[in-house]
Amino acid sequence: MDRNKISKWLKNPGKMANKYSFHVVYFCTGCGIIEIPPSITTRWDAERFGIIPVATPRQANLFLITGYVSTKTLAAIIRTYEQMPEPKYTVAFGSCPINGGMYYDSYNTITSLDKYIPVDGYIAGCMPRPEAIFIGVTHLWKLIDMDKADGYKRYREDYVHYRANQEQILGELDWPPLFSKENL
Amino acid sequence: MINKLKQKLLSDFNDIQVNIPEDNRMIVNTKKESLLSLLSYLKNMGFNHFAMLSCVDWIDENEFELIYILSAYPENDEQYQDIEKKNIILKTRISREKAKFITIIDIFENAEPYEREIHEMFGIHFEGHPRLTPLMLERDYKIPPFRKDFDTNKYVENTFGKVPSIKERKEGKK
Amino acid sequence: MNIISLIISILLALITGMFFLGISRKIMARIQWRYGPPITQPLIDVIRSFSQMGISHGKLFDFGIILSFTGSIVLILFLPIGNLCALTSGGLLAVLYLMLLTPFGIALSAAASANPVSSIGISRQFLLSFAYELPLLLILLAVMTHYHTISLVEIVNIQANSGWAFGSWALVLSGIAYVLILPAILGVRPFEVAGAVQEISSGPIAEFSGKHLAFVTLQHALHTFAALALFVDVFLGGWTLFGLLNPISGTIWGVLLGIIIFLIKMLIVLVLGIFVNAVFPRFRIEQAMKYLWKWPTLISFIGLIIVMLVN
Repeated sequence: MDRNKISKWLKNPGKMANKYSFHVVYFCTGCGIIEIPPSITTRWDAERFGIIPVATPRQANLFLITGYVSTKTLAAIIRTYEQMPEPKYTVAFGSCPINGGMYYDSYNTITSLDKYIPVDGYIAGCMPRPEAIFIGVTHLWKLIDMDKADGYKRYREDYVHYRANQEQILGELDWPPLFSKENL
Repeated sequence: MINKLKQKLLSDFNDIQVNIPEDNRMIVNTKKESLLSLLSYLKNMGFNHFAMLSCVDWIDENEFELIYILSAYPENDEQYQDIEKKNIILKTRISREKAKFITIIDIFENAEPYEREIHEMFGIHFEGHPRLTPLMLERDYKIPPFRKDFDTNKYVENTFGKVPSIKERKEGKK
Repeated sequence: MNIISLIISILLALITGMFFLGISRKIMARIQWRYGPPITQPLIDVIRSFSQMGISHGKLFDFGIILSFTGSIVLILFLPIGNLCALTSGGLLAVLYLMLLTPFGIALSAAASANPVSSIGISRQFLLSFAYELPLLLILLAVMTHYHTISLVEIVNIQANSGWAFGSWALVLSGIAYVLILPAILGVRPFEVAGAVQEISSGPIAEFSGKHLAFVTLQHALHTFAALALFVDVFLGGWTLFGLLNPISGTIWGVLLGIIIFLIKMLIVLVLGIFVNAVFPRFRIEQAMKYLWKWPTLISFIGLIIVMLVN
């Protein structure tokens, strides 16, 4: 952890501050929500990394999707993701967002989350333990250092394709497109 | 206590079968025409809590089986220590091609969401129900999802599997 | 002299306020048997908020937060920090007037953001301000009557010679009442009704993102600093230490030592406030108003009568 290296702070304060101050949207979906309170309370303290849950997506920059995603939840996830300010990062928990997981043959859950919103990293497990959550966060720091955690940039560039995928599953969406030709 | 109830039921109705697997549980198999009268009879005897409505799909016998579970609350607090909770499980069969039945809202009003869920998941139409709209699902399914001839793998392949990844869409456009 | 003390006051208040917020998070964590963030964590949060590209809900939204931030800065200038006081005229009356500019600015922004939880939060903030202004007014009236002045610099200098105001017989009841309402002015539990994260999605600041969130955090730091500085100046003798520092009060060493003693006193009061914050739950707004209008008002009223009888 290079939080104490002053020279890196002076070179690029925005990137370092984005790394060490993750405010998490407390979006509780699926089974993985049972693993979030242990990792932010006393025993596996997440606040020493700078992670703290906030109440609204407007104040957050990390989005944790903790478990399976049904089609109703997908609409809520897309609306929450579009409200967050940039730069923002997404981390998916468990095996359900990767390939469907335990619900691979369900009539109502999607099989791969990366087709609908950009995901920066996955933490495998069903559910991952809090130690695995911390290893995932430190790996996300390395990705931010190497400039590879660019999910939000991909969303901005390929928004037309993301929206086409969303409309294929959810039907007619009742919110307007986030990026139109004018403000791209 | 349960045996007295069994004798009474067998004497009053003539086409039912009653058996008692455990001490406080009674299973009654009946025909679908006498279900409503049996329900109101049991309600007058004190079983006034409608706990659940469930359904089983016997695809080989071409029938649906509806299962009604009733139970009794003790009348006051002194009785709570003496009696254990009694459950009565009623089972009827209806045909699978013409999946229709009558609603029991006139006897037990809290059966409304259960019948709505069974209509959505199995496709059984309940006549007399005021609001048979979908409770949880948002999409249209050609076969209701809980029936045994609904192929889940094929459905997932055709809807969620057919969504291309972003890379494929970009290359497709080019 | 004035320009220098102005700049030093503002910078000192900003930096020390951020460190006080960090210290409070660290102490809360240690009380709960965990490690907790580093002390510089609020600074990292502010830098991160500045680097984000937030949205704005219109011109009134931008104006409200700037009004609140400048209100807090001007309030700092009227309070003596150590030996320095940038604006010496006005004293306690100016401070009482300017303390309500901060929630007013946030109310403008919250109204412009059109979120229902913002309006609930800001109505609670105004009700709480309304509730603690009454005992605060009685306390400050007692202090002004006892020392025959409204200037904060004179109050601090009188305490250098005649002992702290908290220790004098006439003003001890007012001091006790001020200690009882101090959590309400700071906005910590049990009076954390306005910015309740779990109940109303952090209240008035629910729609703030990017630069606006950074300014709100800075303003919260300034508000904490101002509330603590007012208490220490009026009741705990400011920068003086029972007259021991009088010989060197004009020199540069006196100024530095005075600022350090002032900050140490503020730190002790903050730590006591954090101890209360760590163990209490949150009041409802009507419980908070009933409490603040019952016991602290009664005690400060009796204190005011005692002061009027003594003089």
